[in-house]
Amino acid sequence: MAEVAIGIDLGTSNSCVAIARPDGVEVIPNAFGENTSASVVAFHEGGKITVGNAAKAQIIHSPGRTVYSSKRLIGRYFFSEEVKKAQAICSYRIVEGPNHSVRLQVADQQYSLPEISAMILREMKQVAEAHLGHEVTKAVVTVPAYFNDNQRQATKDAGRIAGLEVLRILNEPTAAALSYGFGKGLTQKVAVYDLGGGTFDISVLEIGTDVFEVLSTCGDTFLGGDDFDDRLIDLLADEFSRTHGVNLRKDPFAFEKLKVAAETAKKNLSIDDEVEIRIPDIAKNDAGESLSLERQVAHDEFASLVMDLVMRTFKVCDEALQQANLTVRDLDGVILVGGPTRLPLIRSAVGDYFQKVPKTDVDPDEVVAMGASIHASSLIQPEQNAFLLDVTPLSLRIGVAGGLAETVIERNTPVPIEQTRTFTTFQDYQERVKIRVYQGESRQAEENELLGQFEFAGFRKARRGEVEIDVTFAIDSDGLVKVTACDRATGQQASTEITLSSGLSDEEIENIIERGDTERVHTPSLDDSAELPVPAPTPPPVAAAAPPPAASEPPPPVAAAAPVAQAATPPAGPAGDEIVTLDEPGDDLADDDELELVAGVETPPAEMHKQALEVEDEGAPEDPVPLEGRPAPETPAVEPSAPTAEASEPVESLAGDDVTEEYLGEAGTDLSQYYDDSEKS
Amino acid sequence: MSDVLAPTEILALANILDELDYYQVLHIRPDASASAVRSAFHQSSRAFHPDSNRHLDADHRQAIGRISKRITEAYTVLRDPRRRRAYDEALRGGRTRMQIAEAEAGARQQATDELEGKTPNGRRYSAMARTDVARGDLAAAVRNLQTALTFEPANAHFKTKLQELKGQLEEERRKKRPAPF
Repeated sequence: MAEVAIGIDLGTSNSCVAIARPDGVEVIPNAFGENTSASVVAFHEGGKITVGNAAKAQIIHSPGRTVYSSKRLIGRYFFSEEVKKAQAICSYRIVEGPNHSVRLQVADQQYSLPEISAMILREMKQVAEAHLGHEVTKAVVTVPAYFNDNQRQATKDAGRIAGLEVLRILNEPTAAALSYGFGKGLTQKVAVYDLGGGTFDISVLEIGTDVFEVLSTCGDTFLGGDDFDDRLIDLLADEFSRTHGVNLRKDPFAFEKLKVAAETAKKNLSIDDEVEIRIPDIAKNDAGESLSLERQVAHDEFASLVMDLVMRTFKVCDEALQQANLTVRDLDGVILVGGPTRLPLIRSAVGDYFQKVPKTDVDPDEVVAMGASIHASSLIQPEQNAFLLDVTPLSLRIGVAGGLAETVIERNTPVPIEQTRTFTTFQDYQERVKIRVYQGESRQAEENELLGQFEFAGFRKARRGEVEIDVTFAIDSDGLVKVTACDRATGQQASTEITLSSGLSDEEIENIIERGDTERVHTPSLDDSAELPVPAPTPPPVAAAAPPPAASEPPPPVAAAAPVAQAATPPAGPAGDEIVTLDEPGDDLADDDELELVAGVETPPAEMHKQALEVEDEGAPEDPVPLEGRPAPETPAVEPSAPTAEASEPVESLAGDDVTEEYLGEAGTDLSQYYDDSEKS
Repeated sequence: MSDVLAPTEILALANILDELDYYQVLHIRPDASASAVRSAFHQSSRAFHPDSNRHLDADHRQAIGRISKRITEAYTVLRDPRRRRAYDEALRGGRTRMQIAEAEAGARQQATDELEGKTPNGRRYSAMARTDVARGDLAAAVRNLQTALTFEPANAHFKTKLQELKGQLEEERRKKRPAPF
């Protein structure tokens, strides 16, 4: 039998699995004949786990044991905004795990987010296996284009936990474009408008006969169909509170009923002009009387509730078009992705914005999984490929002195790519530097997502500004990031390489796999109503359980680190000689200058001295400020002729934090201002 | 570029990568058009995309990875006319490689130079011309910009701006002139 690989759209609200075969792409229905399954995981008494639409029905009965919209939390830190927001509205318990990670507390057990996603992936895998009649081990899994590296890593980990080899983490809009344009011999520029349950993405692509080039992608991970529901929920809850004096938000059962009703109403508004919401006996008042909620909602009223959210999506579209250097008139088509795009108000607003009727020939709930399956099949059969050229959605930055973050790879740069920038030490005879890696669009380090940090030591000790450290950032085709630091002047290969972590170490992942919770996912099957062989639920593990003697097949080795004594130490600790710490991200920026990096030399190794010789007589507009009592760094770091704004005055950069900030601040766009000032003075 | 390279050629290419300029990396002439840059990128990516080389061993895959990253880098610099100009200048100085951020900064610097002048006197007189425009003295603005141009005769922005100002000045004078009978 030929090797097969499936495509899985792991959505915030719903997931979908498809397979591409020579005779076409097929969306695989579950045992109930549904093409999509709710991304909801229900933990039943007795250990059984179910996923899908039946699990979703559990929300009302056991809100604390039913996990939904978990994609909003994957790859996030516990202190992030999104987690706080989720804590306020979710009925399951969100707790803090090691390294500021997020854990979900269900009954007496804690689960990491990759585990929850793994359960959904396991369900999709089993749905495919039941349909195909054989095992499936390979998949392409999609993520929102705007997912950062932490979120991508966590998704990849989820695949591994679910027993899948993830061939590629593919961006959802790219998958949709593939599904739309594959094999049609098109030459078009298209926009993919992807409004999902929890995220909004827009990608602009150029489709050629066999190549799909993403020109730009932008998004908002805080905007989705769920926010539309929330607006309706707010309206209903506020009205109810005014009329009856009862706050439905305080009653988890009532609130879940309200949520279900609001979501159903929204969906029906895709078909009908007006819907009636009716929830009998939703709550009791102080007198103990039973109260019901009844409300008519017209499409227009709903539209006015959410129009500002819709407009927010177009701001993002503006940005994407600008990044692609195109206008709406340059586009040949708009593809809609995601359930909420069924709403007439979205369709007409999108039509108005793009000045063309959106393509609706592919089901917006299935188009992503179909595209993923097409890519999956071309990855295992390289001869029949349409190849994808994607971009990185977020700028990759490195933390420098003054709490700032310097761009190393700008957003919307095609991948795979590798870029090196050279940095220097901040103090005399500094022994170590801490390299912090961020993703995001802010010059203020803390406003970006911290991907990870590591210490680099063992380089030549010298006066500040004399040590040159090359920091190389690489992004692979999955959009995953690798960072390497290397002292170049000594020629010594003291480089440290890390793969930034999702918060789960290899060891933790292995423990999770061994614990086998995801194997408790029970997928109903059509042909045999009898239970599938489900392993008996394992007892909740003791903190550091010894591995079973007959260890099941180990997962593929990642990175190195010789097998450390199993889980005897807390898994959070760094393995071997890798120094990967994720403690106190964001708030320890100023803790010790000793570890700061300063942007200094901009030029790559070989050219630097050449550049230094080309110093123009003009010099910098202002004289470099000498450092009190310290010699100014040697030429390479001062380097007035380097074509970057930063490099024109590196001496100031070394004078101290405040000055550094000023000088780094102008690296962006404000050059003209600078020159004006210097002339006036 | 031919579609498939022999494994030994892949390793050889990866080894000499730093000696190749971006045009050589993409197999195009230095005067290639924007669309030629793009289609060369597609062709080269097809040959060296990690996806189409999964069957090779680790060494070769690593070499392919290096090459494909350099191809992307070359494209990212050359596809943008501003960055390409900055790169061309560096290339004339003997450099084959330029980090994208550097090309971008170079492009911005060139744009600023063009807009505001790149010599101290060019900047000074053009700034004075801007101030003149702001306070409505077009004649003085024209004089200052003309002076700026003597320091930077090749500055295209100064030239067009000067033409524009002269036109406005002429217009202004026509309006002030008493209408003939």
